[in-house]
Amino acid sequence: MTPREWLVTVVLVLPLVGAGAAGVVSRGWLCRVMTGIAVLTALAALTLAAVALLEPTHRELGRWIVVDPAGGIIVGVIACVGVASALVSPQFLSMRRGSLFQAGRADRIYWATFFAFWAVLLAVPLAGNLGAAWLAIEATTAASALLVGFSGRARALEAGWKYLILTSLGLGVALLGILMLESAAGGGGIEMLTWRTLPHLSLDSDVAVVAYVLLLAGLAAKIGWAPVHNWLPDAHSEAPAPVSALLSAALLPAVLLVAWRSQQALAPTIGVRTAGSVLVGFGLASLAVAVPFLWQSQAWKRLLAYSSLEHMGVIALGVGFGGTLALAGVAIHVVGHALAKALGFYAAIPLLAHEPRASGHGVGGIGTTEPALGVSLGVSLGALAGLPPSPLFVSEVLIVAGGFQVGRPWAAGAAAILLALGFLGLTHALIDTLIGKPRGRDRHPALGLRAVTTMTIVAVPLLLALTVAALWLPDSAIVQGLIRGLG
Amino acid sequence: MSGIAWALVALGIGVIVIRRRSIAVALVTAQAFVLAVAALAEGASADDVVAATALGVRGVVLAALFLFLVRRTRETRPVPVGVAPLARAAAAVTLALALIWLVPPFGLETHEAEQATLSLVALGLVTAAMRRATLFQVLGIVLVENGLALAALSLPGEPSLAIEIGVAVDLLLVALVAGVFHQRIFAEFGAGDTAALRSLRDS
Repeated sequence: MTPREWLVTVVLVLPLVGAGAAGVVSRGWLCRVMTGIAVLTALAALTLAAVALLEPTHRELGRWIVVDPAGGIIVGVIACVGVASALVSPQFLSMRRGSLFQAGRADRIYWATFFAFWAVLLAVPLAGNLGAAWLAIEATTAASALLVGFSGRARALEAGWKYLILTSLGLGVALLGILMLESAAGGGGIEMLTWRTLPHLSLDSDVAVVAYVLLLAGLAAKIGWAPVHNWLPDAHSEAPAPVSALLSAALLPAVLLVAWRSQQALAPTIGVRTAGSVLVGFGLASLAVAVPFLWQSQAWKRLLAYSSLEHMGVIALGVGFGGTLALAGVAIHVVGHALAKALGFYAAIPLLAHEPRASGHGVGGIGTTEPALGVSLGVSLGALAGLPPSPLFVSEVLIVAGGFQVGRPWAAGAAAILLALGFLGLTHALIDTLIGKPRGRDRHPALGLRAVTTMTIVAVPLLLALTVAALWLPDSAIVQGLIRGLG
Repeated sequence: MSGIAWALVALGIGVIVIRRRSIAVALVTAQAFVLAVAALAEGASADDVVAATALGVRGVVLAALFLFLVRRTRETRPVPVGVAPLARAAAAVTLALALIWLVPPFGLETHEAEQATLSLVALGLVTAAMRRATLFQVLGIVLVENGLALAALSLPGEPSLAIEIGVAVDLLLVALVAGVFHQRIFAEFGAGDTAALRSLRDS
């Protein structure tokens, strides 16, 4: 095996070791061992991400594995969000009340499913063909559904059930699209549909269009694009906060990468314009559906969930537009969204300890009742709103400009209006959260605040660095690599 | 293959209209066995035998799981139907015909296999969308997967074993997790009825 293949193997095996270890490590050592394995996994994955970004040659490792710049960005994001989620999980577990599982085994099952989810999540951007990508995405469903329903409360059961059924059905539709592509290509096995060979297959264009639409419609159910997004606000708001962060900041962009690769692979057959239009349609629909909910007073995690819908729409627009500006915007948006969204979900742990009614209602005046927590919430929501100097402000400008650059002025104009409306909604929520009228009466100490404050201190310079990087990125080799894709 | 394809569709329509969970489980299990027999009848290669075995094992494990769940969650009265059986069947047939009309021929061995695949996917989607009982919604997913298994068996060339086994394992995992949720929903609400799952709504 080559060093690169060894590294991929280590990245995929380490979290599985964590899943297995969760069943055998003594209770007293459980959290320490789990966080230790999480740190090792993240280090390996970040090394792989660096290799993918800095040495973009030898991308394919056989038919099954690919290590390219786009995958490197997502692997890096999954690594960072995964390890941060693991680090805040002990605090979440110490505060939990009840579980879907027996009390004595709940923590072990949490860690085992957490690492199993992380392992298959890391496999998604590394999958070298459509079949392997589908298998990895489907495998994320089983593990993450258990985590969504982990609390065992009625609302969590509802969220987990919706997530399981809707995404499984969606992925069934996506598999139909993949089988159609394989059949139209003359058979030979789905693993033959590699990202490199797909653009060169001689496919009937009508069949390819239908297969592409089915594939994207199915993946949309997993990404949470409107109009097949119904599970998203429920699952993200009811899952444990560390899991919500993984779902929103890591899972959605990972699946979106598969949609992006499919678009690049099938564009030569169905036309660049047609392939992009489907993504632009999903993007605009997601923005239009998300904006009204961003204007309403929502519970904190539910507000973040609707913000995910908005941001996945923005990324879909960027991918659909293509071009240097839009793709630079996409790269910045994926990373910036992951940082800000993960921080927001982690801040939900001390927020819910401080003000328990925040689980079902909008919050107000946190900046006055618990200033340090207010700063964390403010940094997260300000960045997600696209308040300058947030990197998401720059990335959204790049994506809209990218729309004009590739000759889609109407879509870019509509996106700009919807983004402005979303910005106003989230800014209103930001002001209300920080200096609005405090709503809860029974307040408690914000347990777990120190970890979240530390993460905020780390996140702020990273967000600012991203903003600076966004100005340089459009002319970089990374964006050229993204445009070239794997074909 | 055409007789097998339409037998699968007939069994699928049964899942849409019948009321008893155990009979619906028997119908999707029968589909799995029909598919396994079809895989064996396809050819004599080792890959065909492995594909047939994977389908058969998947069918047996799912049947055991679902029947276990039916026994563990006996309902004092059946979950209300919501939409009448004939209306469900009509909706499924309409969706199936629409798919057959919209999707161009895509290269499976026979045209009947393509039509049956699309019909089974439609039946599965309608079952999951229109049946309130949690177990029936999972059976909807199994119907979709059985349709996709038919397509996989009807592809030109050799079957893709790694993918077929992977799909079977993924389906088993999803069914297992659905089983955990089904039991917990039954314990929480006294019935495996998705109508009880309506607290998370935004206006």
